[in-house]
Order: sequence, then structure tokens, then C-alpha cells
Amino acid sequence: MDNNISGEPNIKVVKNATCTFCGCVCDDMELTVDLDQKRITKAKNACVLGKAWFFEHSVDESRPLARIDGKEVSLDDAIEEAAQILVNARFPIIYGMSNSTSEAQRETVKMADLLSANIDSTSSVCHGPTGMGLQGVGEPTTTLGEVKNRADMIVYWGCNPSDCHPRLSTHFTVMPKGMYIPNGRKDRTVINVDVRATATSQLSDLFIQTKPGSDFELLWALRILTRGGRLNSTIEEQTGVTIAVIEDLANRLRSCNYGILFFGMGLSMTRGRHYNTSALHMLATDLNEHTHFVVKPARGHGNVTGADTVLSWQTGYPFGINFNRGYPRHEPGEFTTTDILTRGEADAACIIASDPIANFAKPAIDHLKKIPVISFDPKPTPTSEMARVAFTTSCYGINTPGTVYRMDDIPIPLRPAFESPFPSDQEILIPLIKRIRELKSVSSAAA
Amino acid sequence: MKLSLHTPPEVPLEAEIISPTSLSGLSEAEVSALMLHHGNRKEALGEFFTVSGKMNGRLEVEGDLSFVKLLGRDMAGGEMIIEGNVSGHLGAGMRGGHIIVNGNVQDWTGEDMTGGTITVNGNAGHMVGSGVRGAEQGMQGGQIFVHGNCKNETGGAMRRGLIVIGGNSGDFTGLNMVAGTVIVLGEMGIRTGASMKRGSVISMKPARMIPTFSYSCTYKPTFLRFYLNYLRELGFEIDDAWLTGNYQRWCGDAMALNKGEILLFQP
Amino acid sequence: MSTTLRIVNGKVYDPINNVDGAVQDVCIQGGKIVESVPGDAPKIDAHGMVVMPGGVDIHSHIAGPKVNLARKFQPEDHRYDPHPGTPFTRSGAGGIVPSTFATGYRFATLGYTTVMEAAVPPLSARHVLEELEDTAILDKGYYVLMGNNSFLHRMLEKGRMEEFREAVAWWLNASKAYTIKLVNPGADEQWKGDKNSNITDIDQKIHSFDITPRKVIKALIDAANDLGLPHPAHIHCNNLGHSGNYKTTLETMRTAEGRKAHITHIQFNSYGGEPGKNPISAAKEISDFINDNPNISADVGQVMFGESVSMTADAPLSWMLRHVKERKWINCDTECESGCGIIPFEYQQHIYTHALQWAIGLELFLMAKDPWRMVLSTDHPNGGSFMNYPKLIRLLMDRDFRKQEAAGLNQKAMAKTSLLDLDKEFSFSEIAIVTRAGPAKLLGLKDKGHLGVGADADVTIYDEQENREEMFKTARYVLKDGQLFIKNHEFCADPVGRILQVAPEYDKKIEDEIRPFFDNYYSVQFDNYPVFDTHVETEVVPTYPLQ
Repeated sequence: MDNNISGEPNIKVVKNATCTFCGCVCDDMELTVDLDQKRITKAKNACVLGKAWFFEHSVDESRPLARIDGKEVSLDDAIEEAAQILVNARFPIIYGMSNSTSEAQRETVKMADLLSANIDSTSSVCHGPTGMGLQGVGEPTTTLGEVKNRADMIVYWGCNPSDCHPRLSTHFTVMPKGMYIPNGRKDRTVINVDVRATATSQLSDLFIQTKPGSDFELLWALRILTRGGRLNSTIEEQTGVTIAVIEDLANRLRSCNYGILFFGMGLSMTRGRHYNTSALHMLATDLNEHTHFVVKPARGHGNVTGADTVLSWQTGYPFGINFNRGYPRHEPGEFTTTDILTRGEADAACIIASDPIANFAKPAIDHLKKIPVISFDPKPTPTSEMARVAFTTSCYGINTPGTVYRMDDIPIPLRPAFESPFPSDQEILIPLIKRIRELKSVSSAAA
Repeated sequence: MKLSLHTPPEVPLEAEIISPTSLSGLSEAEVSALMLHHGNRKEALGEFFTVSGKMNGRLEVEGDLSFVKLLGRDMAGGEMIIEGNVSGHLGAGMRGGHIIVNGNVQDWTGEDMTGGTITVNGNAGHMVGSGVRGAEQGMQGGQIFVHGNCKNETGGAMRRGLIVIGGNSGDFTGLNMVAGTVIVLGEMGIRTGASMKRGSVISMKPARMIPTFSYSCTYKPTFLRFYLNYLRELGFEIDDAWLTGNYQRWCGDAMALNKGEILLFQP
Repeated sequence: MSTTLRIVNGKVYDPINNVDGAVQDVCIQGGKIVESVPGDAPKIDAHGMVVMPGGVDIHSHIAGPKVNLARKFQPEDHRYDPHPGTPFTRSGAGGIVPSTFATGYRFATLGYTTVMEAAVPPLSARHVLEELEDTAILDKGYYVLMGNNSFLHRMLEKGRMEEFREAVAWWLNASKAYTIKLVNPGADEQWKGDKNSNITDIDQKIHSFDITPRKVIKALIDAANDLGLPHPAHIHCNNLGHSGNYKTTLETMRTAEGRKAHITHIQFNSYGGEPGKNPISAAKEISDFINDNPNISADVGQVMFGESVSMTADAPLSWMLRHVKERKWINCDTECESGCGIIPFEYQQHIYTHALQWAIGLELFLMAKDPWRMVLSTDHPNGGSFMNYPKLIRLLMDRDFRKQEAAGLNQKAMAKTSLLDLDKEFSFSEIAIVTRAGPAKLLGLKDKGHLGVGADADVTIYDEQENREEMFKTARYVLKDGQLFIKNHEFCADPVGRILQVAPEYDKKIEDEIRPFFDNYYSVQFDNYPVFDTHVETEVVPTYPLQ
């Protein structure tokens, strides 16, 4: 890859580098790299989260490449142990994937298929319900550039990009000038709907505060008005929003030229989950009878969208997939990782660039602690530290080239800043899959 | 014939082969030799169950079956009595016959069911008689009786048939319902009947309506008395007041066809 | 992995080399068809079998962002049709929109070895290329959407035709695509910028641009010809699906002014009648024009009854279909480049319009004087899954079957077509033309679609059966680049196909024009937009620019 070299020999500047911290996947980073220290010293254009992501990434060469039960071992020994665990398991689960390149994700799904394993991404604990909403009612959506070029109405619903996706507003949506938005911010109306005021409310023209857990009712009320119906007064008690405000909102949505509803886990992870997101998708669909309207979930991890995308093209399903019968099946609640662990069904786990021990509920963690765990991670985490087999990997985007999918499904290339002494997920997965294939004595013609 | 679990599976066991329909005419030895999916392996039924007796249309299954999925799938007739808790997809695609569970069942009871009866003398999970993800219709016929409570999306997208919950149901009861009847003797969660096209959801307890349901009248539905007497015969506790009482009728969902109804008993 | 092999005793159908059912040997070595191989070379005895070149599909939607959205949002489509793995092959999901590996295996089972993905916005080039890499067995390429490209619209507005052509060449290189695709040219601007309106006349002004669809069509047809692309501009016409649209189709074909152009799934653009009213067949008007104009080629886009999925860059069309039946609907706008709509759709025998569409497609096949320019497609999965090809082949080869099927359809519709007066039955040779030789020629793939010396050894062997549907459902043997991978109907290997692209030369100076446009209107950096050569391995098919 053509990295622009300049300055002193030990300093490298990487232009058009990509930040893989959040779903924005900004690809206009200008990184100054101290090659001796193996550190990024400047990250031009990065947001506060991106700067932390880049600056805090230093390589601890003293960390073992591979460990079994905490003891340092050779890569081969660790691969052998991991392969044995996975091949002997009856219900192995593979989980994570969202901080990994799509190249590595493709290998991960291949491994799941070969093992007849269960595979799932962190989607199942963030925007999985959004995927289920899509499966139920569809979705009108867009790439971020069209928001920049056309959107005169931007709604942030149950999400707080100003803190969680700082450049979503400044780089992609609210602030920039676009093809048909000559004056940028001035030409757009920004509305924030949430249960509490956040930094995002401050950049909005209008903030509408709802009672917690009443998103569905408010969305349904907006659908009524969009379809020319009328509201009865119970809606005020249910949502804490007055009919006047709801009617005003409905009018604004209907009368814009190009509107977008961004939403977050305030919708997908609160009571009603996938039917909250369905309701939002249906509202946007209804609005298309009056004007052009789209929706977009503000996705979290750098390549969680890639995990959905790769799983969908290789298996037909976006997350929560089980290969036990030699072909993929999909059932959220049955084959999603937290549910499997809570019921105590899995007998081995391979965790790729994710930290369930730090994030899952206690019953799930308790079971995870009972079974052999294989972990891939660039940094020590509670999961990697309790794992039976732990691989230290290089960091995607910073050390590893490849492709990631932005929150709007657009593939973005990675331009690594510096070499890591540790291998990438993919560089471990390939020999691991080879070994698994040998152990299962499957014809090497299969691929 | 009787199947007694002697070795609980370590990981989920997919036992759709266990139904009066698929075991009919088989000897004990033949049944023991049938292969089941134990996680990603195939293992003989005999590894888990002791098989005894002749198959005469009546099948008993006993033990802790909370890791055993898909019992009675595509069952076309006969009777299956299950002593113990069972996992998901009980009676999936069932066409006829009767499944009786003396215990609790997990999610997707009666998924894709077109006929027959499932009786659960315990609690059920999510999506009782509900459509699978993405599908335009759920249960297309038959009856599901749950004497305990159940969770969310009961009767989701159901097209035909009867679902009765003796206890409480969760949120989105009758979600996307196309037709059919859901009776909840206890309390329903929130958002009952969201996107329902047709069909009836009936509850004996007050419920909060979503904004797209409109009140039509309060009356004494004659048909309901027949239903409730029938349920009384089936062992559900039916309060006399319900037989003769008034019911509020709400119409919706205005976001769908608006031809569905929710009936709420008025004490 | 490629073998030395002699196929003996089979009836060979190789229209490009004028072989029409002669029993003769086909010799294979080094992945190619050769004059002869040593006498002791392994043999396949094809007695009682039909030997044809591997099938070539000129227009299917098999990979890329919209196909994947269609997979993702229809678990119910895959659920009842799983695709189990074998010791040699990956598992996957079936249904109308199968997963990538399953798509390759299922096409190969029908005897196809080359398939072209029909429409992808360049912004998603990396995505489609990654999916094509994961599409088993097949050689493949894809057509890149340019009929609604804002930068190109601006060049046209200013009449800067030189720069227009250079930019087209740049885009083809940047996206590693196979040819130029137009879909409802100009309409995305109406759809995204003018509250979901559509283009109705190819001479109307495009919203917010001072150009017409006709101007876009002409310019891209010219660019493809000038750049000497192996396959000309591939055009999904305006007004697709609307009654009376055959006039638009004729105008579009006239716009080519004698230069090469391909009109895709033309059945959907062969309707008479008044807009907003029931369509009637205009197959004759369309066929007559194509019969008289050798510069025009087309694929049919046959409708087959049953479930389908409408997936198209023609967003207004998808919105129209949603008003036919309110099923779950996806729209996806791509900045500066495209729109997209997806909706499940069912073609039903008793519905007038559906029956008429079915009949019009068959009329187009049967009325074509030159089958080399009216080739087979169902616009998979829009008109129906590619898994319907065997049934479609039987409809073409078996007049009685055709009449029997027609009897079960909406008779009002049948009365409005001349289908039942058409007695023609396709021969094996004509089937070989519309499923192999023809598409290969139209695609400019010189080593495909035939079994002459030097051709790629992509070979399919079918058991000859009276029931042509059964016959073409599963090939007994299939070879890819000389490697036998289906033997007695079962996979015995999993060869990896190639990705084909074009790389016409262009003047680097055009990048100075395009870069600022990206800085202003795109959400990705100009330098990150072109697909890196390290991203995926492709094979460049030569172009022959006009000097």
C-alpha cells in the first residue's frame, strides 16, 4: 500500500489513514508515526475518541504471542491446543468479529462452517434487533454522503453521536456543505429525541424528551399523523410529549425534502427492542409517501457492519448463526451468544477481538468460565486473561491492512501506521483452520 | 411406548425424530438406534433414552428435557405426553395429534403449526405460535393451551387457530396477527395487537392500548361464553363473571388493516 | 489441478464452430481445449449424453450490496432450503437469493461456469469483488452503474465529451468492473432530489441537471464503443414495467445510432397500452426492430411463476411494486452514483399482468430471427430464480409443454398475445446459442462459449432426456478450466474461478478534475476510492479502443 513517507527517517506520515474505533470509519486521518517508538504521535482530523484510539495503541513487545493457561508457549503449540479444543467440542461457539478486518471475518466464518460451530458477532448485543427489524419490515436507507449532499432534516433518536460518534455530525451529516445544501448547518433542521438531554441535544434545533420506554408509542403516534389520522389524548400521558409537539414534529418530517432518522441503542436495546426499530423503519417508509426519507443506525464498533455483511453473504444471515447440522441456521434468541451461554449450552468458545467477560451478564459469564476459551486480542482483557488459549494479535487499521465496512455498508481500505511484531487475526486463523482440517481429515479441496 | 432420559445431553439435542408419527411401527431396538443431532455430532437415541413398550400411537417422554429441542416436529397424529421441562421449537410444523407437557417449555412452541393441539401444564417462553423471523405468517391452525405464563410475541402473525394463556402474557401479544384468536386469562404486557390485521385478542384483565386502537363499544360477546365453557372443561379456572360480563371492544391496528379486535373484560 | 482428458461418444453442440450434434471427441489439456491428447489419456464416455460449452449468464444479480441486503432481510427465504456442505464444498443458504458459495455451486450444477453480476455502484466495488471471490467455481465479473453518476452528469452538462470519456475509463479502472451499466438513467436525481418522482420520457430534463436521459444514454453508448469495451453499454431502460414503455425502448435503441448497445431484461420494456392501464404485448414491435438492427443485442428477462425478489438500482420501480402489494421494502441511496430498491414479489398465473409478462418473454425468444442477439436470462432473481432455467429451456424446446402451461394462465392475457400462434421449438443448438455461445460472444469472451481448440476447457455434459427440464436440471459432468468438479452429479472438487475486469487506458489528468468533486460531495477520500490492486486478484480482458 502506498504510504506517503516524509520527514526524518524514523518518522512516517500516513495520509488518508482510517480510524477503526467507531462505525464512522473516518478515512481522512493524517497519522504521524514514530517508527522507533512504534507509536502514533499525531492524528490530524481525528476526534477525541479517535485520538485516544491512536495514541493509546503502543505495542508491548514483552507480551507473549501465545499462552496456554497463562504460560507462554510457541504459536504452533497454541494453535495445536486451540484446534484440539475446537475439534473435540460438540457445541463450539465463535463470537466477536467486530474489531477485525473483513478478510479475517471471512476466515472466521470458514472456520465456523468447517467446525459445524455456532457463530455470532457483537451485533447480537447492540444492533441485532435492528437487523430483526429489517427482516420484519425492511428499511429505507442511504450512504452517509447522500446525507451530506441532500438532507435538510436530520433526526437523532435514542442516540448521542456528539459523545459516541463525534464526527458523524461534524464530518458527515450536520455541519458539512453538500451538493444541494450550500450553506451546511444553516440549511438543515436537526432534531433530537431522547429520554434525557445530551451533548447532541445542544447541537439540535429541537429537543424532544420522552418518557423512558415510550419510543414505540411516540413512533406509532407519528405514523398515525403521517397517514392523516388523529391522536387521542392518552398519548401525552404515555409518552410525556404533548400532542402539539408531536403534530409539529410530524409536520416537519413530512415537509422536508430529504430526511433521515439516525438511531441508536436507546431504541434497539430498550423495552420493545426489534419492534422499536421496526416502528422507526415503518415511519420512514410511511414518510416516503410525502417526501424522501431514510433511516440509519449509528453503529458502534469499527467493523461490526462488516461482520453482519460477511456473515450475510457467506451464510445468508447477519448474526446468531448455527452450523451444527452442516449448514447455517439463524434464530435470534436461540443461536445468539448471550442466550446460549445463559442456558449453559456451549462446551467451548473462540472469542475474536471482543471482551464478553467484561460485557456479558453474570449467568453468561459464569458459564464462559466453565468451558475452554480461546481468545484473539491485541491487548490484555478480562477475557484474554482467563482464556485457556490466548493469542496476542496485531491491531486492525493500526498494524493490519484490509477492509472494514462503515456503518452505511461502504467498504473502506486500511492503511496501517506501523508493523506489529504480532500476527493479525487472519495470520493465526489460516494455520488454525489448516490444522482443524487435518484433524477432521477433510479433503483439502474444500475451501 | 416410553422414552426415559437416562443420560442428559451435555449440549442441545435436536430430537425432531421423537414423535408418535415418526416412531410409529418401530421396535424398541429400532427406536434406540435412531440418530439424533447432539450439537454437531450424530448420536443414537439409545445413548440418551431408555426405550420401552410398543408404539401404539401414544408416546411418553420423561426426564429433564431442557436441552432437548424440536420434540414432536411435523407430528401428524397420536399423543405425546412429556414429563419434564423441554427446550425450544416444541411441535414445530405440527399437523395433528396432541402434545401434553407436564413442565415448562422454552421459546417457539408450535412454530409453523397447522393443526393438532399442544397443552402446556406449566410456563411457556417467547413466541408461542408465532411466525419465524421475517415470515409473513405464524401458526396456521390448531390449538395451544398454556396453563401458566408466557413471554413476548404470543401469537405473532398467527393466521388461524386458538392460543389460550391461563396466566399472564408478555409484550406484543398478537403482534402482526393476521387472524385467529388469542385468549389471555391473566394480564397482558404492553403493546398488544401492534400491526394486527384481523383476529381477536381477549383478556380478563385491564390492558394499556397503543395509540392506533380505537374504542368501539362495550358488549356481551355471546361467542366468548362458548369459548370459556370449553376452556373450563379443559381445566382452566374460569370466573363465572367472565361468562356473563361486559367486554370493552377495541379496534385496530389502524396502522394495518384495522380489522382486528381486542376484548377486555369489565369487572 | 487441471487434467488431460478425452470426452468420447457424446453428441457435441458447439454453434460457434458449427458443430451441431456430431458425435466427436473433445480433448482437454492444460485447462484448454486441444486438438488431441495421447491415446492413453483418461476418458469420459459420454454415450447417450449431450456435450456443450459451460453455460454463460450475461445478466444475474448474484453479489454486491443490494444482493446482500436481500439475503439479510429474508431469513424466511433461506430457512426451508438449506445448502449443506460436502467434504469438497462450503455450506450455505439457498432460496431465491442464495449465499455466495451456494450461488456458485447451484449455477455449476445447472452446467454454468461464467456469470456476470448485473449492477453495482462503484462506491461498493470492494464489496462486490469480495463477494465474487467467495462465489464458488464460476468465472465472473460485474457491471458498474454509471447512468446516474453526478460527476458524469456535470461533464455532459458542460458538453465536455473528452473528459466524460476519460472519466468513464477512470471509473472502470477504479472499480475493476467489466462494463458500463445504465439503470433508468437520470431517475435517481428525481427519486432522491424531487420527493420520489421518476423519469417518464427520455427527452425530459433531469431534475437539477440541464441534460436529458437520452443524452446520458448516447454518451455512455459512445464511450463504451470508443473505449472498445468487450461488452457494450448494458442498458436497463427508462419506464421499465410501465404500460406503453416499448416506445421508450425503441427510442433508447435508436439513440445508439447504429453503434453497439445491449438492452437488458427487455421483456420488462416491451409493453404496449396506455400508462397506468393494463399492458398489452409489444413483443412484435421490439423484435422487428432488433431483427433489423444488428448493432442491438438483448437478454430477455423471462418471468417465471412463483416467488421472486425484485432487486434493482431502479428505486422508483421498487416503490411502484410496493404499491402493488405492501410487503417489506428496502431502499438504499448511494451518494452521487445510484439508488436501489428491494422487495419480495410473487408472479401468479391467474394475474393478467403476470401472465402477459410470461407470454411476452417467450414471444421475444420465439420471434427473434437471430438468437445470438436475444439470449436467455430471468434477470435473476427479478423475473425468478436462475434455478428456473431448466424449466424455461423446456418451454422453448417443447411446444406442447408451452401450450399446456399457457392453458393454466389468465386467458384474458393469453388472448392479448400471439404466443399460441408461435410453433417454433428451439433445437439443442439454439439452446446452446442462447445459454452459452451467444452470451459469450456478446461479452467478448473469445475463449468461452465454444469448444474449439484454444477455448477454456469449461465443459458441461448432460444426460440426454426427453424431458428437457429434467435434462438441464443437473449436469452429469462439469469441468472448469479442465478440472472435473462434478462427476455423476456430485461435487468432487471446488475449483476457484476468476474475476474478469476491463482496464481501458485514460489520461491521468482527469483525476485533477475528479478529486475536487470527491472532496466536496463524497464521504470517502479520493485516494481511498479506487480498489487497490492488492485487494483482489483479477484478470484483465483486453479492450480495443478506436484510434
